[in-house]
Amino acid sequence: MAKARDIEGLQADMPFEKAAAATVAVRAEELFEQSENVLDTTDIERVHDMRVASRRLRAVLEIYAPCFPGDQFKPLLREVKDLADALGERRDPDVLLDRLATLEAALPKANAPGIEAFAAPVREEQQRGNETLAAALERAERTNLKGRLALLAASAVEPSDEEVPEAAEAAVAALASDDGESERPTGDGAARA
Amino acid sequence: MKARKVKGLEPRGTLADNAERIVRVRLDELQSFIPKALDPDEVTALHDMRIAAKRLRYVLEVTAESCFGPYAATALKRTKELQDLLGEIHDCDVQLPRVMERMEELRAADARTARERAPRDADDLDPKYATRTASARAWRGLETMAIYIKARRELLFERFLELWTRLERDGFRARLVFAASERPEPVTPASQDGNGARARAAVQSRAASR
Repeated sequence: MAKARDIEGLQADMPFEKAAAATVAVRAEELFEQSENVLDTTDIERVHDMRVASRRLRAVLEIYAPCFPGDQFKPLLREVKDLADALGERRDPDVLLDRLATLEAALPKANAPGIEAFAAPVREEQQRGNETLAAALERAERTNLKGRLALLAASAVEPSDEEVPEAAEAAVAALASDDGESERPTGDGAARA
Repeated sequence: MKARKVKGLEPRGTLADNAERIVRVRLDELQSFIPKALDPDEVTALHDMRIAAKRLRYVLEVTAESCFGPYAATALKRTKELQDLLGEIHDCDVQLPRVMERMEELRAADARTARERAPRDADDLDPKYATRTASARAWRGLETMAIYIKARRELLFERFLELWTRLERDGFRARLVFAASERPEPVTPASQDGNGARARAAVQSRAASR
């Protein structure tokens, strides 16, 4: 499992909103860093790492919720949850199949047909989970979820604040450098909820 | 399970003060499942307690090191242990009914086969038709799995009781509440007017002139 990246500059006495901007920006980046080859069912660790990253992102979004403008935050949290659910639909059968393989290896051969009888529908479930995940990833790409999360992270710090955390600045820069095919959010820094 | 709302969070307040509020609420939430979750039949309470442990774990993961006293890091490890153990118990609670359901599906399919094997005008079913069915070889493995999951769940639940007893004995809750109220020494930022650099230069210059 990929270790969570440290959030640089996180300090007890820093404003909560600045911690929110820095932490959400990093956790959102981590999520998309883990997206490579997740649809490959022969390497179940890929989807595991991305799922863990989605849980971490969801957790920090919930922790820092009061720092974000509600009208941007709520739909994005919903989308992150949906993506996490899609990852779960693939991951759950992955785990079960892995455990069944371990169990089969540990038991006398006479048990194998029974374990196989149980595993067969789980494999179908894994396939369906992969299709759900593929659709969720495609949707995240098409709607520029990554860019919108970067904007959300930056929105935790009011434009009038003197110091914008580096991670949030980087997140906004990353959004600006994305190709123009994705739908762009207006990102006009709506009032804090 | 819906998370309890944390009141009084202030975006412009410090990270540590806000995090402390969240930790206190998440800790209360975790504790609220006791004593219910100490009953092995309280599947929902055990599942919800796992979610509560997960929520506490995540807030500690973000804040333990940077915001709180030293015990917070230990509490993070213990919370993860608890979450993992409750997760394994939950897996058993999900898997056992699935195995039973699969057995029922196969049993029904084999019964249909046995019924279809009998002549249309048979007065009764000859037991031989119930043998050598499609799933005949599967029963042993499925039964073994059911027994294994049931026994494993019992064992894991005992481990959970032991872990919870240990946490209570070690004062997990009180120590975490205390740690969440402690603040690490603030990191002194470098002075903007370069006092440090000037002081070093002065020392070097004095040393060179000797």
